[in-house]
Amino acid sequence: MSNGTLYYLTTIFTYAAVDMMACLGLNLQFGVSGITNFGFIIYQAVGAYVAAVLSMPGDAANGGFQTYIGGLHMPFPFPWIGAALAGAIIAVPTGLVVRRSLRPDYAAVAMLVTAVFLNTFVNNFRPLFNGAAGLALVPAPFSGIFNSQSASYQVYYTLFALFLVGLVYLVVRLISESPYGRSLRAMRDDELTAGAIGKNTDKMRMTILLVGGAIGGLSGAMLVGFINLWAPSAWTYPETIVLIAAIIVGGRGNHVGAMFGALLVPVGFLEVTRYIPPFGPPGLVPALEWVVTGILILAFLWARPEGILRERRRRLAKFLPVQGPPPLLGSSGVDS
Amino acid sequence: MLTASDAPAEATASPGSLDEPLLVTRNLERTFSGVRAVDGVSIDVRPGRITGLIGPNGAGKSTMLAMLAGTTPSTSGQILFDGRDVTRVPAFERARAGLVRTFQLSSEFKRMTVLENLLVSVPGNPGDSLTGALFARRKAKKFDREQLLVAGELLERFRMTSHADTYAGALSGGQRRLVEIMRALMARPKLLLLDEPMAGVHPRLAIEIGEHLIALKEAGTTVLMVEHELSIVDQLCDPVIVLAEGRVLAEGTMADLRSQQDVVDAYLIG
Repeated sequence: MSNGTLYYLTTIFTYAAVDMMACLGLNLQFGVSGITNFGFIIYQAVGAYVAAVLSMPGDAANGGFQTYIGGLHMPFPFPWIGAALAGAIIAVPTGLVVRRSLRPDYAAVAMLVTAVFLNTFVNNFRPLFNGAAGLALVPAPFSGIFNSQSASYQVYYTLFALFLVGLVYLVVRLISESPYGRSLRAMRDDELTAGAIGKNTDKMRMTILLVGGAIGGLSGAMLVGFINLWAPSAWTYPETIVLIAAIIVGGRGNHVGAMFGALLVPVGFLEVTRYIPPFGPPGLVPALEWVVTGILILAFLWARPEGILRERRRRLAKFLPVQGPPPLLGSSGVDS
Repeated sequence: MLTASDAPAEATASPGSLDEPLLVTRNLERTFSGVRAVDGVSIDVRPGRITGLIGPNGAGKSTMLAMLAGTTPSTSGQILFDGRDVTRVPAFERARAGLVRTFQLSSEFKRMTVLENLLVSVPGNPGDSLTGALFARRKAKKFDREQLLVAGELLERFRMTSHADTYAGALSGGQRRLVEIMRALMARPKLLLLDEPMAGVHPRLAIEIGEHLIALKEAGTTVLMVEHELSIVDQLCDPVIVLAEGRVLAEGTMADLRSQQDVVDAYLIG
């Protein structure tokens, strides 16, 4: 295999790992818990920035062409741990915004607006993360020990990223298949009733925003460690729409479906469109990608709202006692 | 958790004695944009009985129930449950304390199976938290297995065993009602608040639900029930509280109420 092909494949699979991880985090919020988070990309962005400024040297390095906070030059894995923590911390204000007092549709809009606001802020406030130009020369993990440009490094990086996706999958699966996951799905189906049977929905929502935030933050660290740069243009608000499209297409509430959707929409679909020969005015093909993403969401919501891999039905009747006690009252059946 | 009662002496409700009310409201009010839906209602709900709450449309019955369960905040007044002031306690904590409601419109969790609907309302599952989900799997499984026995018995009693794995959203209206009642029972209520449990239900099934409610009462569960169908109230409820225009109009047995002309004029006529 030529180095070019290997580079292409490792890039594709690392992007796939990043998107799969982000979709797992968003699916836990949107698919399992019913939190329509149109601002999810914030977590990934914050994770990427924090991993960058924790691993980069002070901003006087490299001739001081960048301005940013931090610059702690920490070794791996601390920048990634910091990224996950930062993703969780940034979820706290989101959680406060979407407390039950705010209607879910308003909350979704509030999160979208927050994503737009933060992007504009980072874009225009250079001292924080170097403004619109973004951060470059972000060190890859262990870049002082290994040559991060070598083919073998890229392969190991990709495999490690996929391993982390597997780990996150196990965590979200443990959550959603537990009694806690059952409570989350109850909140998704009817929040008022969930409260009326004893579920603290405010706390549950905040917890899941934190967990999803940490997963989003980690996905950002994984991405910036690979591409070594990060700028506001990489995390505009429609990026969340792509992730939501992936979940709707793959199967809302189904973690395997969410990962499958990540492979189909942000990776597969956008990769395929790269091979369309350019036509029309410049920028038409990328613009059409958004149009087709929108049509894809509408088509699935219309024709197959449960997605390609629908949420698994939890069949528990097999655990019921074979012969129940005799009916205590009445003799007729229920109407149906 | 629930706050200690700081209620005045005349409004205390203490558990323990059969005659002591389980639930007390004092001057309970709810205003919606200047309209007083509930206007100074003071009632006592005594344990081991099915108390009926009746009245014409707009009398404030459902608002009253929602305030008791905490799903709608009260504007003023006081609610004491099991000897504690729960007026400012959120709905989920009231449910955990044993004050569990059903809704006028069926509110089953549609994309969950009937069995899941039942299991989800059981309090105290060790797996029902983030840390429990990650680190207490075995305990949670054992707990679930035990609760499945209880759920199995309920399903059997309500003749719903064959629907255990059916999505609740795919059931008929009557079956959804049953799921809601079973789910409320799984939450271990001390006081079950039922909002028109027979509404939209096949008459034969309504009779069965009534029989189940009597069995529940005999097993010690207290019920406060909003109901429109007076024949049902006649059979099940003692005492009956009549609300009209947000106020208590009368209280007593149905026979007592029928003898009161103002009650008959306001509600029972016809």
